[in-house]
Amino acid sequence: MIRPVDLVADIGEILVPEAHIQAKVAELGARISADYTDRQLTLVSVLKGSLPFMADLMRAITIPVRIDLMEVSSYGGTATESSGLVRILKDLSASIEREDVLIVEDIVDTGLTLNYLIRYLRGKNPATLRICTLLDKPARRLVDIPIDYVGFTIPDQFVVGYGLDYGEVYRNLRFVGVLKPEVYSEPA
Amino acid sequence: MTNPAPPPTSGSSVPADARPAFAHASEAEMARILDFYAVRWVYEPDTFPILWNLDGDVVESFSPDFWLPDLGLYLEMTTLRQRLVRKKNRKLRRLRELYPDVRVKLFYARDFRALMLKYGKLALVDALSGTPGQVVGRRRPALPARVDLATLEVASIDAAAIVAPVDGAPIAVLSVEGGNSLEASPCRPVNRPPTPRRRPTRRPRP
Repeated sequence: MIRPVDLVADIGEILVPEAHIQAKVAELGARISADYTDRQLTLVSVLKGSLPFMADLMRAITIPVRIDLMEVSSYGGTATESSGLVRILKDLSASIEREDVLIVEDIVDTGLTLNYLIRYLRGKNPATLRICTLLDKPARRLVDIPIDYVGFTIPDQFVVGYGLDYGEVYRNLRFVGVLKPEVYSEPA
Repeated sequence: MTNPAPPPTSGSSVPADARPAFAHASEAEMARILDFYAVRWVYEPDTFPILWNLDGDVVESFSPDFWLPDLGLYLEMTTLRQRLVRKKNRKLRRLRELYPDVRVKLFYARDFRALMLKYGKLALVDALSGTPGQVVGRRRPALPARVDLATLEVASIDAAAIVAPVDGAPIAVLSVEGGNSLEASPCRPVNRPPTPRRRPTRRPRP
């Protein structure tokens, strides 16, 4: 029996309320604006999870910025698993050579995806490459990556909302919440 | 579209058709994940002595499951019972005391479960974890009732070691690990005059 999705009832706890997210995004935007004054900044968002964060963050930045989007396959998420390697599903649309690049992530946990992206983007010879993430979940980190801008450090819980999904849903929640365990214990 | 930089090559140091015999299905799954994200790994390359008897012989050691050379990190998977988690925690504490420069990450059952949840493979967790995930073919054979100490090469004892005389002397220390294997190490009778403890000459990877 397929369990119906309920965007309200499936959330056990609101971890980061909408107001806190917006305040943090404004704070990060101000910091980034100050740090990159008089420089050519390109924000690189990693689809799909970072889309809401990117949309809000770019509007909180008060200096001229360019934006670009990337999408990479996730382990177990597609048929590309059989190839045994991450696949770039959508590459950058413009060169970042000698540009200041800021990767905008929704969440960093193991760091495996981000580690791959950094290595990939460094091959495109940006002037600088830094990281901004809304959520940092350090408990399960495998790859130690210095993160330049962190919104919230969160505990080791499975979170959804504000771009983060489970089974491609819950991304449109305006907050970050903890999914009830029974939701993922039953067939989605 | 710009000139795409070539993606990093596969991180695995072992060709897919020449994989090591993993002791546990969760380790094989972790190897596939590391491969996917182009993180190089080596399976059980090093053994760290963590306990010696009074003669300086190694009686307990720790062999992390993976060495990730690009990250300078050892990774140990633990998806078994809580008793074994406690044992590994104790071993890890000991390792960190003796080798403070060695970085080891212990990946617990809950971490593995969360990883599988993240990758949409939660349904496989039970089959890949704990006792069901153990690879039967790789189990070490049970020791015979009469132990030939000269042929033993593994030195590892549990906290609840059994001291058993073999032909009067010396004494073998036997332990049951994971409920399915026996390891033994020769040691001296307990009433033998102690000799100064010496450290092994082998040092861990810098």
